[in-house]
Amino acid sequence: MKILVCLKQVPHQDARLDIDGAGTWIKEDGIKFEINSYDTFALEEALRIKDAGEAEVVVVSIGPDRVTQALRTALGMGADRAVHVKDTEIDGSDALVISKLLAAVGKEESPDLVLMGLMSDDGNTAAVAPMLAELMGIPSATAVMSVEASGDGYKVERELEGGALEVVELPKPCLIAVQSGLNQVRYASLKGIMAAKKKPIDVKGAGDLGLAGNVGAGAAKTHIEKIFAPVKGEGAEIVEGSTDEVVTQLVAKIKELGLL
Amino acid sequence: MGNILIVTELKDGAIREASYELVSFAQKIGGDIKSLVIGSGVAGEAESFAKKGGGTVYVADDASLANYNVDGYAAAIRAGIDASGADVVLISNTPSGWDVAPRIAAALDVAFVSDAFDFQDGAYIRRIFNGKLDARVKVEGDKAIVSVQPGALAAFDGSSEGSTEALTVDTSGARAKFIEVKVAESKGVDLTKASVIVSGGRGVGDPEKFTEVIQPLADALGGAMGASRPVVDAGWLPHQYQVGSSGQVVTPKLYIACGISGAIQHLVGMKGSNFIIAINKDPDAPIFEVAQLGVVADLFEIVPALTAAVAAAKG
Repeated sequence: MKILVCLKQVPHQDARLDIDGAGTWIKEDGIKFEINSYDTFALEEALRIKDAGEAEVVVVSIGPDRVTQALRTALGMGADRAVHVKDTEIDGSDALVISKLLAAVGKEESPDLVLMGLMSDDGNTAAVAPMLAELMGIPSATAVMSVEASGDGYKVERELEGGALEVVELPKPCLIAVQSGLNQVRYASLKGIMAAKKKPIDVKGAGDLGLAGNVGAGAAKTHIEKIFAPVKGEGAEIVEGSTDEVVTQLVAKIKELGLL
Repeated sequence: MGNILIVTELKDGAIREASYELVSFAQKIGGDIKSLVIGSGVAGEAESFAKKGGGTVYVADDASLANYNVDGYAAAIRAGIDASGADVVLISNTPSGWDVAPRIAAALDVAFVSDAFDFQDGAYIRRIFNGKLDARVKVEGDKAIVSVQPGALAAFDGSSEGSTEALTVDTSGARAKFIEVKVAESKGVDLTKASVIVSGGRGVGDPEKFTEVIQPLADALGGAMGASRPVVDAGWLPHQYQVGSSGQVVTPKLYIACGISGAIQHLVGMKGSNFIIAINKDPDAPIFEVAQLGVVADLFEIVPALTAAVAAAKG
């Protein structure tokens, strides 16, 4: 049993988002990065399957040198080994190109189960999981809130609107993209962090995956032309002053609404 | 722009509002509009959609398509694309839409734009960084699969000439198997009936603070306590407290958002409130866009003082 977990390293959720000089992404210098929140739930789910039986958990991430930190964290939490796809040629890739790189890793690893988050906290496309499954030729389910072994595959619950759940069965091999909150994510233990130092991180470039010349902005079918602060509507009237002054105004409003 | 194919979605036997919004989106892009209806026993709905902006409506009507199944629906959509010769395919970004749309783009090796809420000057506009920024996305070439944010544009409610055409779909290769839909369990906390809701977000910091800071204000106002998704995901509060598209959709007389940045999924659940007060340290937090009154400050200074003042006002 082998589980491949796809992780993305993204700007920390509290990081300051300043637009870069080209106006097409944020300034990444000097900000903190973390493992994409959705992906931490996917890793936890993989580790739970490993804890319950025999499984090798392989984590894969695409990105520059800083991604090593995310992979070390994942290894510290209990993953067995890591693949780091690193190549400056990859810059400017869209979700489909990223999916092709991951599919090439998937072909080499041939996992029984691929786990990843529903979406990333930066791009928010939620595209890579279904694309990767399509390119690997395996069934998939997204926004999964529970995973249970069933026959030769898994029975999963997908989150629908308003809290309803759709129960789906997937035969192995398959891909499961998890919704946030399906489990409580563990922290890496000190022992785990020490052990992680000896675990291998295999670094691969686009050429190693048979995709030299087919990645990056030139291969992408979509491009971000510009990013900008959302167009503001009227917005809130901002109450200013000392705490007492602010509270007085809020109480007056609550009275006006007839709630006091 | 060539041909546009609208992939409609049914809910409880009827084509949902979001599909009529896709008609508006298609009109904004400009082109020859065709549509696809997928399901079992859906001929009537397809006829009706054809007369309400859908144009030529292809009907994938098969017992195996009665419920959403990623493989069956992917086969139906690909058959619809072949039949219509579509360049641009529009699909609502709903739990089934986001599940299947990227697969189609990967299978056909064409561009995919996710969760667009507008089309302006030849580019799609979408939210990134959980609502903190927007992006203009350009597509290379003519072909694209585009998922569209429900509620972004007004639904088309005019009438038009249109007709239906049956589509044969081979769903025999389906691997994913639909079992059932479980409706939401009866909620321990029914926020939909509360006249005042005081909600806390990630900014509240830890579960004890909900008991110490948020709940007392809700109590003082005779209201209920709510929470945003990250709070529930972290296990600080049970799911029944969650306000948002995947939790409860609420419309109280007063909604007070404390330490909630305002991710789209939360805004969808509370923006219909009669009056919204937002308290957040970050002046750029999207929650201030939907609030009528905003306080840019530390919630731990404002909320306890407000609780005391409300209690005093009640005497």
